[in-house]
Amino acid sequence: MASVEISGLRKLYGDVVALSDISISIPSGTFYTLLGPSGCGKTTLLRTIAGFHQQSAGQIAVDGSSIEHLPAHQRDVAMVFQDYAVFPHLSVRDNVAFGLKQRRIPAKEITRQVEEVLEVVELGKFVDRMPHELSGGQQQRVGLARAIVVRPKVLLMDEPLSNLDARLRVDLRAELRRIQRDLGITTIYVTHDQEEALAMSDVVCVMEGGIIQQAATPLDVYLRPSNRFVASFVGANNFLQVGNFKGECVLKCCGSSVSQHLPAGPVVCALRPEDISVKVDKDPSSLLNTEISIPVQIKEVSFIGREMEIFATTDNGEAIKAVGRSDSKVIALPVDSRAWFCVERQNLSFFKDSELGERV
Amino acid sequence: MAFSFPRHRPDFWTWITISIVAVLCILLILPILRVLTLGFIDPDTGSLTLDNFIEVFTRNYYLNGLKNTLFVGALGTLGACLIGIPLAFFTTRFLITGKTLISTLAILVLVSPPFISAYAWIMMMGSNGVITNFFGGIGINIPTIYGAHGIILVFSLKFFPFIFLMTQTALTAVNKSFEDAAENLGCSPWQRFVKVTLPLVFPAVSTGAIICFVLSIADFGTPAILGRGFRTLSTIALSAYRSELGGPPTMAVTVSILMMTISMIALVAQRRILANRRYASSLTNLPVAVKLSGWKNAAVHFFSHGIVFLAMLPSAVVVYTSFLKTKGPVFVGGFGLESYDRIWRDAPDAIYNSFLFAIIAVTFITITSGLISYVIVRRDTKAAAAIDFLMMVPYLVPGVVMAIGFVTVFRNGMPNFFGPAFLLVMIYYIRRLPYGVRSTTSSLRQIKPSLEEAAVNLGATPLGAFVKITVPLIFPGIVVGALMGFITAINELSSTLILYDAGTITMPVKVYLAVLDGEFGLAAALSTILLLSTGACVYAVFRFAENRNSAFI
Repeated sequence: MASVEISGLRKLYGDVVALSDISISIPSGTFYTLLGPSGCGKTTLLRTIAGFHQQSAGQIAVDGSSIEHLPAHQRDVAMVFQDYAVFPHLSVRDNVAFGLKQRRIPAKEITRQVEEVLEVVELGKFVDRMPHELSGGQQQRVGLARAIVVRPKVLLMDEPLSNLDARLRVDLRAELRRIQRDLGITTIYVTHDQEEALAMSDVVCVMEGGIIQQAATPLDVYLRPSNRFVASFVGANNFLQVGNFKGECVLKCCGSSVSQHLPAGPVVCALRPEDISVKVDKDPSSLLNTEISIPVQIKEVSFIGREMEIFATTDNGEAIKAVGRSDSKVIALPVDSRAWFCVERQNLSFFKDSELGERV
Repeated sequence: MAFSFPRHRPDFWTWITISIVAVLCILLILPILRVLTLGFIDPDTGSLTLDNFIEVFTRNYYLNGLKNTLFVGALGTLGACLIGIPLAFFTTRFLITGKTLISTLAILVLVSPPFISAYAWIMMMGSNGVITNFFGGIGINIPTIYGAHGIILVFSLKFFPFIFLMTQTALTAVNKSFEDAAENLGCSPWQRFVKVTLPLVFPAVSTGAIICFVLSIADFGTPAILGRGFRTLSTIALSAYRSELGGPPTMAVTVSILMMTISMIALVAQRRILANRRYASSLTNLPVAVKLSGWKNAAVHFFSHGIVFLAMLPSAVVVYTSFLKTKGPVFVGGFGLESYDRIWRDAPDAIYNSFLFAIIAVTFITITSGLISYVIVRRDTKAAAAIDFLMMVPYLVPGVVMAIGFVTVFRNGMPNFFGPAFLLVMIYYIRRLPYGVRSTTSSLRQIKPSLEEAAVNLGATPLGAFVKITVPLIFPGIVVGALMGFITAINELSSTLILYDAGTITMPVKVYLAVLDGEFGLAAALSTILLLSTGACVYAVFRFAENRNSAFI
């Protein structure tokens, strides 16, 4: 259990900036997730903390003492690997005991601790198996047991579930979170799976281009994304152009007034697909003033079981998507038929119109 | 951008990298550089000159040597292709009884020393050979084996396994859909082979061919034994070295540079041709072997088994000869163990030296190849890339050339400091190191780097992770590499001939000298010991290697 303090961390590969002035503060016992698309720098950050990459500048401190100058084997941060990295020539017992032996713990104590931790990850019966006799999920439990048995100050996990099949991933996700809570171990978790990140984390840190875009609770990241990238990467979002008409800000596609006070410069309006309700035979005058309605042309309705996805275009050709409870009236709509997408005003948010445009 | 000094943390592997580079500089780069510079220096005045090269390119003695080398090299390679490609095609596309036997024998041919087959052919088709005498007895004078055609025959039968094994591997990996598509588009089987299959395996064929060509050029024993006045650059280099003893080996070195240049040009040309041919093949639709019937089946079997039989014949003749009854150098009819009795009296030191030098060199190779492989595979530095490149150099530098380089570096000025035994071990080490490195490197590439990272992450030092995790996992690769190093070290002739003295004679040298003296019985018994230890190693490789064939090529 320890807090992690990273300040001004930078990593360059030649002229390529892999990490740009990363500063984060992780309180003790937090489940902290680095989320982002591939190439965003999240794995580089994790591996720099582990000591597998050397930073170009900056500090990493665990519990107040800096570790950035230590070689990897002296850092006391245990890692769980994407490809499990279970030693294929050692039994489950010897794999889990590996770190304890490095720490010169007496043999009797090692046996006890190994058996104890294998009970925690529910592998008690497999102690003398070889890795090739285990399934992927079981191997990753060995990887987890091997990491936590040394009681590291910080647990690092590099997409530990991404090689597992979907159902197992969800089961193991809950189990990982339970074990982490029970042990109260500070955990830094890397994933590109936003659902995983939102479901497990205390704090989600969204990265792109080697830069932290937003670090906040899952709910905040989802409801109050700090910029357009976060808004589009976490959850789905529609972005519609906003224009200025007689001193009022309006949606360019339909002229609906959305706000009186927006800064100068191009701005987009973000609306989540699940906030949209589809009206097939609409009477605009019946709308409350708290809602706006956007006339669209239906392009495709796909029924995917629990819900339906409606793809449409606005009058000036912007693509827009809605998701909702399946409705046979909507599913029956022919291509190019007219409909109205209605959203409550309070669910609209606005960003400057660039890839990383900030929230306004 | 402001200049910033990179903060590199030198770790264990940094020191290892530096040590490797240092060893390679001393044992590999320095001798080659010495050879290169000596060729441009006037032996009398010590000034820079091109005269040595002008002499090589104007005197017929050298020009003929160059022509002869290229001639037997090219035709030997062609012969190897003409044997190897059909054999590979037959064994992969048709059901051949005894397919494993064919591959095994091809591997044995590959690893047995070429000078043994050269002199076995003399026993069969030399002036007093069994076959020559048989035909002479019934009144037919057949040409003897001596001269260019004999060398080409030996090269073809000796080097075809490279082409065969590489092409075979490639052919089993060609997606059958390509061939099906060709057939579907209207190709006859022959057109399909020429227009689709052969181009697809061309990278493998050309790689095999380039190995044949480079080895043919470097080969000393075959032209030395079968040449009879037909001189190639390697025999010229050695006799130039002998005649220049005492002074700087200028002409030997100049000829050496020529040999290296030919190998380099051949390699660069092949790389150029291959550069635009990369056929990634997904193995979704593996080719299947069909069963032939009738005369076609008989012909294919006859060719496949006939070729390996013919290629193994010299070794068989050698073993057979070793058990013939002899009196002095003369075969007196019947069987006996006199030849073996004689090697115990005449050549125990050669046997002892051969094993001693090879074992010491291989021990060093075993220890270092794991470390070198690790640096090559895991360290993404310029030094690692340079080491990777340097590991190819010993393949390209003929033994004669390397040995002359060793002499010029380690013997000039310090005659007694480095004894011949030390130099022999060192030259075996540096020339055979690539076998060990290549084998361990391919093992290591299959090991996920995350395993070592996991060990380090759990508190193991870099060396600890290497010893506890990496070494156990690449152990088969290390063993195979060591065995390949041993086979090639114990059979080494050309560089030993330059470096040995009375106390450091080895089995291949003794065989070579015995053949020149007409002591065929003694040569046969020693060769049999060489073949036996080689065979034992091949058997061990089969036990350890994941893929039998690829361990050898």
